Amino acid sequence: MTGLNRALAGIALAGIIAGAAASALVVSSDHIAMPGAGVAIGLLITWSFIGTGLYAWWRRPASRFGALLAAVGFTFLLGALTSSDDPVVFTIGVLTANIYFVVFAHMLLAYPDGRLERPWHAKLIAAGYVLSVLGPLPQLLWGFTDRTIEGCQGCPESALLIEVDDTLRNIGNAVTSVIGVAIVAVVLAILIRRWRNATGPQRRGLAPVLWSGMVMLVLLAGALGTDAVGSARLTNVLGSLGLIVFASVPWVFLIGLVRSRVARAGAVSELLLRLGEAPGTGTLRCRLADALGDRSLQLVFWLDDRTCWVDSEGHVVEVPQPGHPARALTLVELEGRRVGAIVHDTTLLEEPDLLGSVAAAAGLAMENERLQAQLRARVEELRTSRARIVEASSHERRRLERNLHDGAQQRLVALSLTLRLAQGKVHAEPDRADELLAGAQKELTLALGELRELARGIHPAVLSDRGLQAALEALAGRAPIEVDLAELPSDRLPEPIEAAAYFVVAEALTNVAKYAHANQATVKVSRRNGHAVVEVADDGIGGADPDRGSGLRGLADRVSALDGRMSLDSPAGAGTRLRAEIPV
Amino acid sequence: MDDHPSFRATARVLLEAEGFDVVGEAADGASALTEAGRLQPEVVLLDVQLPDIDGFDVAARLTGNDDSPVVILVSSRDSSDFGPLVTRSGARGFVPKAELSGDRLQELL
Repeated sequence: MTGLNRALAGIALAGIIAGAAASALVVSSDHIAMPGAGVAIGLLITWSFIGTGLYAWWRRPASRFGALLAAVGFTFLLGALTSSDDPVVFTIGVLTANIYFVVFAHMLLAYPDGRLERPWHAKLIAAGYVLSVLGPLPQLLWGFTDRTIEGCQGCPESALLIEVDDTLRNIGNAVTSVIGVAIVAVVLAILIRRWRNATGPQRRGLAPVLWSGMVMLVLLAGALGTDAVGSARLTNVLGSLGLIVFASVPWVFLIGLVRSRVARAGAVSELLLRLGEAPGTGTLRCRLADALGDRSLQLVFWLDDRTCWVDSEGHVVEVPQPGHPARALTLVELEGRRVGAIVHDTTLLEEPDLLGSVAAAAGLAMENERLQAQLRARVEELRTSRARIVEASSHERRRLERNLHDGAQQRLVALSLTLRLAQGKVHAEPDRADELLAGAQKELTLALGELRELARGIHPAVLSDRGLQAALEALAGRAPIEVDLAELPSDRLPEPIEAAAYFVVAEALTNVAKYAHANQATVKVSRRNGHAVVEVADDGIGGADPDRGSGLRGLADRVSALDGRMSLDSPAGAGTRLRAEIPV
Repeated sequence: MDDHPSFRATARVLLEAEGFDVVGEAADGASALTEAGRLQPEVVLLDVQLPDIDGFDVAARLTGNDDSPVVILVSSRDSSDFGPLVTRSGARGFVPKAELSGDRLQELL
């Protein structure tokens, strides 16, 4: 027996003993007209509340609702003290007889998790507790009303009686009744607003307790109101009706609880059957929504390769974080591997068994939809990267044209003019011609340098002639920082992969030199599990932004065009590591 | 050895003007090896990019013996484009084509 079970058994035992003691008090009373009926009704109500309360407590130990339900039962017993023939006990009974009703209102406001939503709700309930004790005080201080005396033949005197004063008592009664009606009205307003704001599944959960509770409150407010205006018979009728509704509340709650369990167990077995039928996009969501009774339910799928969530169309989506007020996430796994998740209303978290069964039943069907979503995401990615590659290629052509035009071409034009000038002066001014030719030589050297640089950027000749190793060695030799070529493949890789690997390293080293404030970079190119793995790591400041500039974006496209993928790991202060994996 | 006739012609004029004796020319790697074997030159001026075997391989095959010629690699590219390949090839040195002159060759010999 667990600690909780022991505690609950103890409370149940206490409930039985307290009920028996209260019954004994009622039966032995001199002034109770029909003690048998009183005991029967009292025990029915008390034990209903305590029993269902303990059941709810046991089912959902995290919720305090069960405890409140049981507390209503226990406080209801306090009314039995009014059966005592001892004036002091009788007076205490009168003072505490209405507390159960505030516990009941407290329970309604705190439904379903047993906690009051706002601090002012707690203040309202506290005022209710105070009023429940102060309410009978005018009668105890200044004498009972005729109606009370009529209903309580042979009751002992109030232990607090000062003197019989009808005026003071009636004023006191009216004031406490009006305040009571006001508090009940505010509680009702809160409950109605909560109902209006509730989502579908929340309403289904709230309905049984909230509605019977609200009816009970309306009846009681009516009783209090009529009491304040002094129509005794109506008060009696409304009070009796209220008692009947009140007695039904734990049963309504219990029926709701059991029915939802039965209905949902049926829904899960139906789900299992229907999942076996022909699968189709979109219907899985509907089937799970039916099984869980949550029309707002959404499915998201996990893409391992991109480590992100997507919807069934393959679009990347955000999922609710733990602690989100309205939406929660239940993971769906297949053979221990995460395939997706159900995004649902938080009320369903109260049914962990149900969620677990549905998630388990959905695994295979989710995996099928996940594969489709993955395909759609892939197509979408290809579409955008293809567009970017076309754009990048056109951008590159414009850049080449501009560089050629602004650089080498301008120098060659100037050179042509200088040479013509020098030619004209060879005989007349040989010294001047000499100078011009020397200038032409310098200009030509610059033009050649620019052309070389441009050609290298388009495609390094040494890469196609001598392979990746030679090209990377040359690249490392030209780099402005120390580059350690820690690992290079001994065999040649296919030409497009070598080119992609070369440009990944080249761009990475350019970025290291520009932004990383690094002393050293390490380059590794290896073949692992059918992939060419390119890694460039530096000892710089880290914090690189993968979206910075078009260079990395273009490289990622180039790599993904070869079915590979690129990742950047750059924690602030701990260097940057760029990694590309390309299938060979 | 160069596959561009215009560069071969210019280099011949330039080197002969500076006192070198140009004994032969070749337009690709294979004929470079044959001609070098036949003519036994003291110095071979070798372009890196040839249509068949590239200059580094030709250099490796031409050098290594006591009677091997001195091989000087030339290219329109910069030596930094080739990294450590130049030193590994067995060639004596590298001269960018635009800077070719008798003096540059003398420095390396």
